Amino acid sequence: MHDRIRHLRSAVPPRTRWRSYLAPALFITPGFALFLVTVIYPMVQAFQISLYDWQIVAGAVSTFIGFDNYARAFNDERFWLALSNSGLYMLFTVPPQVVLGLGVAMLLKDKSPAQPLFRVLYYLPVVTSWVVVSLLFRYLFADRGLINFALDDLLQLTDGKISWLSGRWTALVAICALGVWKGVGWSMMIFLAALQGVPRDLEEAAIIDGASRWQRFLVVTLPAIWPAMIFVVIMLVIGGFNVFASVMVMTGGGPAGQTEVLLTYMYRQAFEYLDFGYGSAIAVILTVLVFLLSAAQLRLFRDPAAGDAR
Amino acid sequence: MSRPAFRRAALCATAAATAMLVALPALAQEVTVTFWGSYGNGGNSTQQDALNNTLIPAFEAANPGVKVQYVDVPYDSLLQKLTTSAAGGELPDLVRADLGWVPQFAALGVLVPLSDVMPDFEELAAATYPGVLATNLYKGKYYGLPLDTNTRVLVTSQEALDAAGLSAPPVTFDEFKAMAAALDGTEISVFADSGLGGWNIFPWLWSGGGEITDPELTKATGYLDSAENVATVQMLVELYQAGQIPNLIIGNQGATGTSDGLPSLEYATILDGPWMAGIWGEQYPDFTPIYAPVPAGPGGSISVVGGEDIVLTTSAENQDAALEFIRFTQSEQFQIEMAKTGQMVVIPAFAEAQAEVSPFFAPFSEQLLSAKSRLAISSGSQIDGILNGALVPAFEGQVSVQDALTSAATQIDALLAAE
Repeated sequence: MHDRIRHLRSAVPPRTRWRSYLAPALFITPGFALFLVTVIYPMVQAFQISLYDWQIVAGAVSTFIGFDNYARAFNDERFWLALSNSGLYMLFTVPPQVVLGLGVAMLLKDKSPAQPLFRVLYYLPVVTSWVVVSLLFRYLFADRGLINFALDDLLQLTDGKISWLSGRWTALVAICALGVWKGVGWSMMIFLAALQGVPRDLEEAAIIDGASRWQRFLVVTLPAIWPAMIFVVIMLVIGGFNVFASVMVMTGGGPAGQTEVLLTYMYRQAFEYLDFGYGSAIAVILTVLVFLLSAAQLRLFRDPAAGDAR
Repeated sequence: MSRPAFRRAALCATAAATAMLVALPALAQEVTVTFWGSYGNGGNSTQQDALNNTLIPAFEAANPGVKVQYVDVPYDSLLQKLTTSAAGGELPDLVRADLGWVPQFAALGVLVPLSDVMPDFEELAAATYPGVLATNLYKGKYYGLPLDTNTRVLVTSQEALDAAGLSAPPVTFDEFKAMAAALDGTEISVFADSGLGGWNIFPWLWSGGGEITDPELTKATGYLDSAENVATVQMLVELYQAGQIPNLIIGNQGATGTSDGLPSLEYATILDGPWMAGIWGEQYPDFTPIYAPVPAGPGGSISVVGGEDIVLTTSAENQDAALEFIRFTQSEQFQIEMAKTGQMVVIPAFAEAQAEVSPFFAPFSEQLLSAKSRLAISSGSQIDGILNGALVPAFEGQVSVQDALTSAATQIDALLAAE
């Protein structure tokens, strides 16, 4: 087989072979150029800045300091606190978004008159502005907010005096709640699309074989939507580490930096303290971390049945 | 070409040339000065209106050919906008900068030292309040002129005084503590503030007889962690731990803000500036604030200078026109027009005229006489982070006040050494 292809290829004159690359290249070029200019170039630039004691003003001389900014980050307690907060946010928001998103998608996958309405309702938080919903959640979780009112006067679970945004853990609860609420609609949408591709014949065969709902879900549905699952998890993990607006608006990283996450810390270093070198180093560390995590997940989730095809 | 046609063409050319000759100087003279500020902060339109509808037209009438374009930027995003614009070399000609930003931008080299380029700088500077002018000084040069000023005083209400059984606001630390004791057991907190940065805590420290650094700005150790400052902070910490100062002060964003808590009698006293009158006037028309000096401790009643300076950037293309506008901001017309909208004058000679248009400024003018300014260093924005980071654990009882202040002083020492 391979020999035949090689034979055929060598039979094609070089001119035609070059032409066969031309069309795909033309299609790829605009997108790739955009990617180079808007993604790769800023990344390279950020890495360059991170190696300097960077002066932001055009024309000012920046001093090359090698990896000092990185060493500084690794010895900075606040950096580690921010990193652990970002990590916790990721851990506490990704599983609920996957489970709830898939659950809602399963409920909404069958046609019913109310289905479009529910799809819209679940997707609405996704398209609303982060700043708007963060402000909304800040008021919900305020000392005299609706959450405390509900916990005390309605459910009588607490005395209604929890100062949600004044402590690290309670504030993280509020921030994670917002993250999950806002994110469920997105994973639901991806899963809904994936569920359309589950082979009907396999499902029917499973039903005939007497498989229960749960068994059918495990054996038929889950493997069929596995690529979507990988995609959702990887994207959510990346998104989790990129949490920013909600923390900025709800707690501002306070009290005393206890709820700072990597991006708010980076933002503060760069735009408040004008320490762009250090800010860029934090950004580069985050990029590397997210890249390694994504690569690890891809290896981990690789479907053995599919071999190396993917 | 026939003769008449030639003549017609020549006539047209002459007419065009004449028109250009007339138009050219006008084109050359028409310059635009851009001016960024945050006069409209908090949805307040009166200051922007005064600037756009009264002052700028007056300036343009007096200076034909110069247009002033004011761009309002929300206060919270102004610093970031200035930073990114500085990086791109796209700054406006003039900026109404928070006085804490002047050293920061001067250190970046994006501000023109007015003391170098304005022949009449000394004359203009001498007319302003020295404490306010000092906020423009960075490494021996003045990078701006004061534009407006303010300070914080103690604000309370008759209802709060009644609840504490007082006939007048507390004058001393002891009376303040007595007020707290009287309010113990009620739902009313004796005092509230929204943070532990310099703007918040320095009035207490200075009034308590403490200092932040040595006069030369080289050392905080031995000053910030002095016995006087420990005693002052200890007083606040004890009130906090007794539940008489709400956790708004450690940065709880979910607590009631001071501007709402005072009128709703959740808080008995706050420290705040003259702009609050306008905000309460709109949101709590029935509320009558009572203004009093900051409670006096062993060091007297000393508050913190706030306000804005006007600075000229290196991006300015029309320096002369921009400098002319700076001169205009120092005029009685500009200062008094702004005083009507809640901005305090920066020139003592206009104080009387100000008292006539806005009598309510009196307690603030009084407090300004002894008010001090924060540290004029390029890394001033980091001081607030350091103070908050060190003091919050002290308020929560995790570290002693002495340790917290010593830790903050050590960190500030490092900033001062790097200047």
